[in-house]
Amino acid sequence: MTRIRLPKITLWRAVAGLIFAAGFYATYLRFVKGFEVATNLSNAQPWGIWVGVATLCGVGLSAGGFAIAGAVYLLGMERYRPILRAAVVIAFLGYLSVVAGYAWELGLPWNFWHPIVMWNRHSVLFEVVWCITIYTTVLALEFSPALVERIPWKGVRELYLKLQHKILIALVLIGVLLSSLHQSFLGGLFIIFKGKMYPLWYSNYQTTLFYMSAIPAGISMIILALYLSARSLNVKIDMRILDDFSRIIAPMLVIFTLFRFADLAKQNALGYLFLPVAETGYFWLEMALFVAAPLVLFNLPQVRSKPIGLYWASATVIAGFITHRINVSITSLERFTHANYVPKWPEMAVTVMLVTAAVVAFRFAVLYLKIFPQSMQVEPPPFQLPRTTGYVFPAHPSTAVN
Amino acid sequence: MKTKAMLIDITKCIGCRACEQACKEVHHFPAEHEPVLSATALTVVEERGDKFVRRLCMHCEDPACASVCPVGALKKTAAGPVTYDAKKCFGCRYCMLACPYSVPRYEWSKLAPHVKKCDMCAERVAAGGVTACAEACPVGATIFGDREDLLAEAQKRIRENPAYVNKIYGAEEVGGASVFFLSDVPFEKLGFIKAPQTTPLPVLSASALGEVPTVVMVGGSLLAGLYWFTQRRQQVMAAEATEKEHNVPRFRDKERS
Repeated sequence: MTRIRLPKITLWRAVAGLIFAAGFYATYLRFVKGFEVATNLSNAQPWGIWVGVATLCGVGLSAGGFAIAGAVYLLGMERYRPILRAAVVIAFLGYLSVVAGYAWELGLPWNFWHPIVMWNRHSVLFEVVWCITIYTTVLALEFSPALVERIPWKGVRELYLKLQHKILIALVLIGVLLSSLHQSFLGGLFIIFKGKMYPLWYSNYQTTLFYMSAIPAGISMIILALYLSARSLNVKIDMRILDDFSRIIAPMLVIFTLFRFADLAKQNALGYLFLPVAETGYFWLEMALFVAAPLVLFNLPQVRSKPIGLYWASATVIAGFITHRINVSITSLERFTHANYVPKWPEMAVTVMLVTAAVVAFRFAVLYLKIFPQSMQVEPPPFQLPRTTGYVFPAHPSTAVN
Repeated sequence: MKTKAMLIDITKCIGCRACEQACKEVHHFPAEHEPVLSATALTVVEERGDKFVRRLCMHCEDPACASVCPVGALKKTAAGPVTYDAKKCFGCRYCMLACPYSVPRYEWSKLAPHVKKCDMCAERVAAGGVTACAEACPVGATIFGDREDLLAEAQKRIRENPAYVNKIYGAEEVGGASVFFLSDVPFEKLGFIKAPQTTPLPVLSASALGEVPTVVMVGGSLLAGLYWFTQRRQQVMAAEATEKEHNVPRFRDKERS
């Protein structure tokens, strides 16, 4: 009798298993029973959390990829190089889950390729689709060395790495441009909803606001991922990098908020700030989570000095960011549409499954690929192939000579 | 062909719903009356007090739905109707939200759902015909014709009869439509939305999209410049480090000694 060795069941594995089970059942409902059974979407509320959270937040929280790549390669901030790959992987997985999410969100997902051949350049969404498609490819190319390093044939490996290194700067530059465009254009989607959106969230500068909110949220996401890697994957985190990040986030949030209030003032919407209606509550919840709480937390020495403090402060930023984007995409329309939209459980199950899939993929990437430099890895990752080159993370052999 | 349009005179409507039925017939929908617009009711007659108000696509001159559609499934035709090409649609539903009148409906119960909205009987119109609803109206509350003629007719009615509200709804809302309403009761009391502006809504997106070339050109040059600067600085630093290491006297040092 042979004994089959099953993976050990831990609490988090059980949780992940449950999430996937629920997600699969929700997927069955979406594709076999249709939108009517699987969602609370309606003619009044055609976009729910699959757009508001899975897309808008997914893309925004992946902004750390272009920010760190730009900082290291274009601004020469070498001190962030140790976490560069992690940032790129987080962004890549984030975008993959956003793109995958469109299988559930689109009514006719098998027509996903239509925007590639059927153009309408007046559409903001057209630009967003193109930018996201190209940028996901760019991220795949930026991330590819981590996979190619595992190829056992030296010739192939080195040829690819050499070629990749030649176009790397161009990739990073294109990545920063494309990201700047589509991060803003996600906000641009809402500019045409004039008259339908509650004044606290309508803005002619929604593009700028979305760009300014995505960067601190994306950086917070990196802090979160680094902390969790340290907790469960034996990665040593460099406190100096985390500390640096925590110094950047607060001023960015302040600039965002100042711009936001100046914009509200310009649109004569300040009168709505204290009206006794539900929207006011949602607005201040957003302000509390996205601005007030992080500003306090990031300035407390007890919080700043410990990774777990920074972790919770970043988690607050992310929660606030998600609240902001849900408010823009869902709360703001309620008064006009009377849709009374609350997501149905399959909508949430699919969204949570997409996030979980990205987290699991990140875990495997850290375990089996060289995502963090050797100096940050406390113990060598299991199943590591023998190192065949004098490869020193993270520079490429061809440049290591210099 | 001149641009076609429809004129709906609320003062004449008797609420017989013949337009609803005719519409359902030409689209092969089930005949039951539906209270609000749906994927199988592309026009409905809603009761507002003692008035009857038709709901249908306004067929804007510069439609928001067509401008936001990433695949160009929705189009404003030269003949007037805003048409929908089901073969192009991939189901993003941006049109539904972008429409200031919230007209497009979705086939939520279907596994391959499409967007549904009044197409002003584009095929019949192209063949020189009249829309089914206008044809069916027994009292001439909905009439079909050339856009310019109908606007002139509406102005004439307002001029000749002071009972009308001095407004042609649809003439200038978000840049004008191809469906016009006349009423003797203020439009906001009949549930008509107040259009957010008299210029077309796509102008708003266009101003954001107009920044693309600037962002690419200026941003691209700026980033390339930053990269060059960073590279140069690193080169200089590296050179200085080697000089120090090898103790090579620098030009200035030589001069001084």
